[in-house]
Amino acid sequence: MNPQLGAALAAEEAAIYAYGIIGVNLSTTGDVTEARTAEQAHRGRRDYLVGRLAQLQASSAPSPAGYQLPFEVTDRAGALKLAIHVEDGVAQAWRPVLPVTTGNDRATALAAMTEAAVRATRWRRLAAVSPVTLPFPGRP
Amino acid sequence: MVLTGAVRMSITGYSRRRVLGATVAGVATTALSGCGLFDDEPAPPEQPDPLQPLLDEAVALAASYDRAVAAQPGLASRLTPLAEDHRTHAAEISRLIGKTPPSAGPSASPPVGAPAETIATLRSAEQAAQKSAVALCRAAPAERAALIGSIAASRATHAEALR
Repeated sequence: MNPQLGAALAAEEAAIYAYGIIGVNLSTTGDVTEARTAEQAHRGRRDYLVGRLAQLQASSAPSPAGYQLPFEVTDRAGALKLAIHVEDGVAQAWRPVLPVTTGNDRATALAAMTEAAVRATRWRRLAAVSPVTLPFPGRP
Repeated sequence: MVLTGAVRMSITGYSRRRVLGATVAGVATTALSGCGLFDDEPAPPEQPDPLQPLLDEAVALAASYDRAVAAQPGLASRLTPLAEDHRTHAAEISRLIGKTPPSAGPSASPPVGAPAETIATLRSAEQAAQKSAVALCRAAPAERAALIGSIAASRATHAEALR
């Protein structure tokens, strides 16, 4: 399960980075609160993964200093699009953890995947993207 | 012992009970071979797949969205994609457990005496269905965990979409 947890950690770190970009392109209180709450959630999952991997005595790759964004983000529309992209990606990173874990590890992975999928739905609604749901969140 | 003290049949030397028993066994084997089973054990009663409840929920949820849209056509654009997700789940689960997907069409009539669907009843149904999918995911073998997990997550996003 260590490679899958390592991949989930990489996704959470990328999400934390992305929310920095997303945040500066949002201005309404609702949008900004949404982004801050999401970023905090990703920090929580990141900390959990760092701790769990340390328990398992697994090394993980250091997070890169910067990331290549999938597209340029210069306004609210771009920020919302990136937020949807990030949450879908985080859900995709957690899904492979499910088959390689049991018990509480699997329950945590499912909760992390589900919360990312729910945030993706909230961002789709804010971006007026339809439909707001996917049939199989986490499936690439 | 079943054959204790049995009378010998004069010609074959087999007891009448043994002959009778062999005939009965032969009939049973013939009956079973009709099901494609060629061993002597009676077929165990068919256990429903553990995913059957997940399938039933998906079908029931899709039908309740259909009823809500039939009663309030203005909700169609909001609810139809959610119903479609459930139908996609039902098709996928059916394929996995080797069942023909049930064809509950949009015209499915509500159970007699069922209250009208509202956004609130749909939302609580999604939340209940998410909980049962989470429990199934926890108990599932590795090869099914990802699919059930995605269905659980999808139900959670539906509850969010109905807020």
